[in-house]
Amino acid sequence: MAERLLDIRDLSTYFFTHAGVVKAVNGVSFTLHRGETIGIVGESGSGKTVAALSLMRLIADPPGKIVEGTLMLGDRDLRALTDAEMRGVRGNDIAMIFQDPMTSLNPVMKIGKQIAEAIVLHQDKGRGEAWRMAAELLARVGIPDADKRVDQYPFEFSGGMRQRAMIAMAISCNPDVLIADEPTTALDVTIQAQIIDVMREMQAQFDSGVILITHDLGVIAEISDKVMVMYGGRTVEYGPVDEIFYNAHHPYTWGLLASLPRLDATEKARLTPIKGQPPNLITLPGGCPFTARCPYRRPECRDQWPQPESVGLDHGVSCWIPEEQRLALRAELPHSKAPAA
Amino acid sequence: MIAYIIRRLFQLVIVLIGVTLITFLMLKLVPGDPARALAGKNATPQRIEFVRHQRGLDRPFYVQYVRYVERLVHGDLGESLYTARPVAEMIWEAAPVTIQLAIAAVLIELLGIPLGVYSALKQYSFWDTTLTTGALILWGIPVFVLGYFAMYVFGLKLDWLPIGGVGDTVLWIIPSSWTSFTYLILPALTLGMIEIAYISYMQRAAMLEVIRSDFIRTARAKGLSERKVIWGHGFKNAVIPVMTIAGIDLGALIGGAIITETVFNRPGIGLMIYHAIGQRDTAVIAGGVLFATFFFVFANLLVDLGYAWVDPRVRLED
Amino acid sequence: MPDWDERQKPERDVYGTQLTQAETIDARSSEEVIEERVEEATKPLGLWADTWRRLRRNRLALVGLGVIIVFLCIGTVETIFYEAHWHVRPGSDVSAANAPGYLAPYDPNEVNYALSPEGLGSPPSWSHPFGTDYLGRDVLSRTLIATRIAMLVGIIAVAIALTLGLLLGPVSGYYGGAIDTVIMRLADVFFAFPYILFVLLIMSVLGAGFQNVFIAIGILGWATFARISRGQVLSVKSMEYVEAARAQGAGDLRIIFRHVLPNSMAPVYVAMAMAIGGAIATEAALSYLGIGVQPPNSSWGLMIAESVNYLAAGNWWWLLFPSLALVATVFGFISFGNGLRDATDPKLKE
Repeated sequence: MAERLLDIRDLSTYFFTHAGVVKAVNGVSFTLHRGETIGIVGESGSGKTVAALSLMRLIADPPGKIVEGTLMLGDRDLRALTDAEMRGVRGNDIAMIFQDPMTSLNPVMKIGKQIAEAIVLHQDKGRGEAWRMAAELLARVGIPDADKRVDQYPFEFSGGMRQRAMIAMAISCNPDVLIADEPTTALDVTIQAQIIDVMREMQAQFDSGVILITHDLGVIAEISDKVMVMYGGRTVEYGPVDEIFYNAHHPYTWGLLASLPRLDATEKARLTPIKGQPPNLITLPGGCPFTARCPYRRPECRDQWPQPESVGLDHGVSCWIPEEQRLALRAELPHSKAPAA
Repeated sequence: MIAYIIRRLFQLVIVLIGVTLITFLMLKLVPGDPARALAGKNATPQRIEFVRHQRGLDRPFYVQYVRYVERLVHGDLGESLYTARPVAEMIWEAAPVTIQLAIAAVLIELLGIPLGVYSALKQYSFWDTTLTTGALILWGIPVFVLGYFAMYVFGLKLDWLPIGGVGDTVLWIIPSSWTSFTYLILPALTLGMIEIAYISYMQRAAMLEVIRSDFIRTARAKGLSERKVIWGHGFKNAVIPVMTIAGIDLGALIGGAIITETVFNRPGIGLMIYHAIGQRDTAVIAGGVLFATFFFVFANLLVDLGYAWVDPRVRLED
Repeated sequence: MPDWDERQKPERDVYGTQLTQAETIDARSSEEVIEERVEEATKPLGLWADTWRRLRRNRLALVGLGVIIVFLCIGTVETIFYEAHWHVRPGSDVSAANAPGYLAPYDPNEVNYALSPEGLGSPPSWSHPFGTDYLGRDVLSRTLIATRIAMLVGIIAVAIALTLGLLLGPVSGYYGGAIDTVIMRLADVFFAFPYILFVLLIMSVLGAGFQNVFIAIGILGWATFARISRGQVLSVKSMEYVEAARAQGAGDLRIIFRHVLPNSMAPVYVAMAMAIGGAIATEAALSYLGIGVQPPNSSWGLMIAESVNYLAAGNWWWLLFPSLALVATVFGFISFGNGLRDATDPKLKE
C-alpha cells in the first residue's frame, strides 16, 4: 500500500455567527495515500470547501473554528503546529488550487512573481532562480511562450491558461497533497478536459495525493480513485469510484446519479433534479441532514445520525434504511444502474 | 499603453474645447454690455459702437470664440476690467500662493492612508469606530467653518498662529523661514484635516474590500506571512484608488481653495476670483476659472495615466 | 414506495412541526423554483426590506437619519409658516400681517439695539439661548428659519439635477453609440471644472440671489446622476429579464423607464443623499462668499460670514450655532448616504 499522506478523523468545523452556530463540517473522516485521488462531491453548502480549508487551517477565526478532529499529515499533527510551522506547510507540503482563477490571482502582480513568491519562501532560492523556475513551471503545465508569459499579468491570460498558472503555482514546491477546489467549474467544457489532464500529469510526476472537490460527477468519474459524498456537513457515503457509481447505497447519491443527463435519454425526457433546497446549516437537527429531502425518511432519521455501515470493500454508507430494503428501493428507481456484471 | 495615452489625449482635447466654449459662453451671457464697460461711463453711443467694432464684439459668435481661443493659446487671458492689468500676469503672481497651499494640504492628507489601512485591519475595534465616526463628521464640515474655528482657537484665543496672510518664500513656493511657515499651518491643516477624513474613509473601504478577495486567500494558501499578504498583496491593490484621489485633490485644490484663501486672506487665485466677483470683473473671473480648470484637467490626466501604469487592467478597457 | 417524481405533501414535516400552506416542504421541480426567482428578481420592492434590516445595524447611519428627520421637520414647519404669511390666498380672512412668517421664539428679523450693547450682541442667556447678533436679532430664531432655506436648496437643487441626470443617463446607457458618446463627453466637460468655481461662474452670469443658487447647483449636478444611472443601465441591459420584456413587445423607452431603471435605483438614492448634503454645504459656501442668500434673509452660511467680523471681539456664539446646525445637517446626509451605500452593497457579507 502506498504511503499514507493524510489521515483525517472526525473533523468538525463550526462558524459562530450572530445568527447562530453554522456546523459547516460535522464529523468528517477520510484518508489519502500517495498517488491517490479522492473526490469530494456535494452541493454548494455541503461543507466540502470548508473541509479543505480546515485542512490548511485557513478558516477565519473568528467566526470559524475547528472544534474537533485529528488532522495528521504523515506523522505530523496539523492542529498542533504553530502558526509559523503551518505557514511552512501551506504551499509546500499541501497546496491548493481555487475555483475562479480570475479572482484568485492578484491582478496587479505579474504571474511570474506570484509563482516565484512561493519558491523563494519555501525553497530558499534567490529571486532570479525562482523566476527561472517559474518560467519552467509554466512550460510544464503546457503554457506556450512561457518565458514571455512569466512577465505578464493575469488578465492577459485566457481562463484555461490562468488555471494552468494556478496549477503551476501550486506544484511549484512539490507538494505531497494537492487540493483542487472546483478547478474546472469556471471553465469551458473543452478547457475542462485539458485542465484535468494537466492535473493528472502533475500528479503522476510528483506522485502526490489529490483531493478533488467538485459537484461535477463527470469529473469525479474521470480521475478519482475514491469518492466521498457530502451533504449538510456530513459524509453520507464513501467508497471506491466504481462502487459509488454502480453500487450506490445512499438516497442522496441515488439522487445525484439520477440527475445526470444521460446519453441514451430520448429528446422528451426531462432532467430529474433532487427536489428541495439545501438545508439551513444553523437549524439542522442532530440527525441526517438529508432528511427533509429524502423520500424514504423514517422517524429516526431526523434526530439520530446513523454511524457508517460497511457495504463493501472500503465502502461505507450512513443511512437508517436497512441494507436489504435499500437494495430493493434502488432496484425500483427508474434510472438505477445494475451493478456491473 | 501608448494606445491608451493617445485615447486619453484625444479625449482631453475635446474636454478642453468644451471647457473653453462654456467659459466663453458664460462670459457672453453675463448681463451688461462689455463695450459700454470698456468705453467708460461717460462715453457717447458712437464711442461705444466704435469700441465694439474695434474689439470685434460685433462679430458672430463662433468668430469671437475662435479669436478667443487664439488669444488663449498665446497666453492672453485678457485684461482686468478693473485694473487693466493683464489677467495672465495677475494669475502668475497669485499662483504660487495657491500651489503652496495645495501641496501642503495634499501632503497632510496622505496621512489618511495609514489611518485607513489600520482602521480596516482592526475592523469594529474602538479605534476603528472612532476613526470612522470622526471621519464622517469631519468630512461634512465646510472648510470655512473649520477654518474659522481653527482661527478663533489658535489664532485669536491662544495666539499661537497668525490668522491670515502669507509668508515669504524661496524657490517660488517653499516658505523661507519659520515665521513664514506659520502662515501656512492653519490653512493647510484646515484643508488637510477634512481631506484626511475623506481619504482614510476611502482607504478603509478599499482595504476592507480587498482583504475579502479571493487572491488574498490564495496568497495565504501559499504560506506567506500575514504581513506579506496584507501589505504585499492587499495594500498594493487597495492603495491604487486612493492615490488617484490624492492626485485629483492636488489638481482640484488649485481652483477649489477659494474658500480657504478667503478665510485666511491668502492672495492666491481663489481670492483673486473672489474679488473679481465683487467687482464684476468678468475677464478675471473667466481667466482664473480657466487656469484652474486646465490645471485640474491635466492633473486628472496625469492621475489617469499613473493609474494605468500601476494597474495594468485599465489599459485594455475603455 | 415513492418514486423520485412523486410529489410529497405531508401535513407534518419531518421535524414534527405542523405545516401551514406556506411551510410545506419545497418539493417543487427546479423549473418552478427558477420561475419564482425570476419573478422576485424583477420585483423591485423586495430589496428594501433587506436594505432596511442592514441599515438598522449601522448606528452612525441611523443617527444621520435622525438628524435629517429633525431638520426636515423644522424646515417643513418653517416653510409652512413662511408660505402662509407671504402667500395668503385671496379671500381668506387671515391677513398677511397676522400670520407670522416663521415659527420661532422671536421675530428673526426684528432689530433690537437694546439687546446689542456696543453693537456686539449679547451672549447666550435664558431668554435668548443662542444669544443675539450685532443687530440684536435672536440667533436661535435666525438659525431656525435658515433651516427652511437649507432644506429647500437641498431638495430643489437635487431634484433638478436628478431629473436631468435620470433623463440623460439611462438614455445614454441604453442606446449607446453616438448618443452615449456625446452625452458622456458633455458630462466630462462638466466634471472638468472644479466644482465651486463652476458654480461661481454660473452665479456670476445669473446674478446673486437665492433662486439662482438652486439653478446653478441643479444644472451642475446632472452629470453625477447621469453617470450613475448610465452605469446601472449598462450592467442591467444584458440581463435576461430585459430580453424577456423585449420579447413581449415592449418598446425601448418603456423598457428603460419601467423595467431597467426601477431595479437599479439603489446607487442613485445613495448619490441623492450625498448630493443633498453637498448642495446644502455649497449653498452655505455661496452665501458665505456673498453671492447666495442675501440679507435680510438668513442662511447659515450668511450668518457665519456676518459673524466673522466680530470674532476678534470674542463673539463666539454667533459663529458656533449656525456652524453646528450646518455641520449637523451635512453630516446627517453624508452619514445616511454612506450607510445606505453599505446597506445596498451586494458584496458586503455580514
